[in-house]
Amino acid sequence: MNTLTTIDELGFAPALQQDVLEDTTSDHALLEATRNGDQDAFAELVSRYRNQITSYIYRMTNDYDGAVDLAQETFVRVYRAADRYQRSYAFSTYIYRIATNLAISELRKRKRRKLVSLTGFFQQSDGGEPKEFNPPDARPLQDSDLVDTERRNAVQRAIGTLPEKYRAPLILRDVDGRSYDEIAKILETSEGTVKSRISRARGFLREKMHAYL
Amino acid sequence: MRKNICELVRRELDELMLDETCSTAALGHLRECGACREFQEKQTKLRQIVGSLGTVAAPADFDFRLRARLANESSSAASSFSFLAGPVLRRGFAAVAVLVVFATGAYLVRNTLNRPGTSEQMAKQTPAVRETPKPPQETVTRNTQEPPKTMDVAVVQNKRSQGNRTGRAGLVAIRNRPLATKEFSSTGAEVIGNAEPVGTSTPFSIDASSLQYFRVSVDDGRGNAKTISVPTISFGSQRLMQNANQFAPKRVW
Repeated sequence: MNTLTTIDELGFAPALQQDVLEDTTSDHALLEATRNGDQDAFAELVSRYRNQITSYIYRMTNDYDGAVDLAQETFVRVYRAADRYQRSYAFSTYIYRIATNLAISELRKRKRRKLVSLTGFFQQSDGGEPKEFNPPDARPLQDSDLVDTERRNAVQRAIGTLPEKYRAPLILRDVDGRSYDEIAKILETSEGTVKSRISRARGFLREKMHAYL
Repeated sequence: MRKNICELVRRELDELMLDETCSTAALGHLRECGACREFQEKQTKLRQIVGSLGTVAAPADFDFRLRARLANESSSAASSFSFLAGPVLRRGFAAVAVLVVFATGAYLVRNTLNRPGTSEQMAKQTPAVRETPKPPQETVTRNTQEPPKTMDVAVVQNKRSQGNRTGRAGLVAIRNRPLATKEFSSTGAEVIGNAEPVGTSTPFSIDASSLQYFRVSVDDGRGNAKTISVPTISFGSQRLMQNANQFAPKRVW
């Protein structure tokens, strides 16, 4: 069967294979039905991935409205390219790759437009791209929920300051919980590179979040 | 050595998922190394915070907006196709017009090049004169002392029409002039006597309307008439100018 071969080619761990098999089989079937003009099948695909994709792009861009737009653009591209879709990858890998490319493209556009935060930024010591400066609020908070919220906001801002090449693998790994192999496929790079980038990204975050750790 | 072990253990901790446990060796090292233990604690906390970000929900009207967007894109694609039909037709017409202009231009240029008006064209056409029979050439050359054999007949004609006007300028002028011939075979050619140099003979009129070949008989003084025969001159496309002398200066054939 085609799908089994595809999953074997992907080389997932045996424990993971069964889950992926079920998901990807149905995703492929839905996309096949979409290709044949079944709008409901496409609606089902959208309902499965809309939150994941929107969330992922939001973590990448730190802009909810823009993330929703880009998520929609992701689905539009999937729909348009349904005829050309090849089953050599899991559908999730495919759609995440589209979303990643759109998000990175948006980040580069912003960089060209030189959108700067009102809180200012400073140049990274190693000559990297400018980093937003977000000092933690040292005032005592009244409620643990507020503490959590503040912490999450801080980490979101800190992630937003990471260079895009570190940001995407970190989100895919630590927020979405994807495997190194899948991340490598989404980002079209090697597993070693993914591991190294994630490690560096965590290092950056540790520096920025030291007040919260 | 210890630093190396720390790096290895930290790398292992980095690559693990949060719910996974590290190896026994790493656990043993963590018990001994306070720095690595601190690293593990901070790392775990950081990953918990990052992981707590969770999934942001898409807006409720996400599907509706997506459907609207797809519908809008498909309709705009269709309308852009129909919009393209106009420019395509216009471009087609423009291309046809350009082709027509080029074809007309090429036709005119070709016609202009085929006209025997330039010296280059006349120079190209002189090989036709070279086919003049040998004996008459020798006769005329002896009389006129003009070196280029191909211009022998032209020299005779020029000298007849212009009297003493000789020289290179005259040759060039003749070369630039279209030639026309007349058939004298039926009426008999005028005999040029030996006593009368060719260049000083009185001009005789040539009817340029006739497109026959040109023939001149020269008397060598002993009663033998040598005949110079110039075959019909062709101008590439086998066209001869009817009014060949319309471009010639006044009183010059």
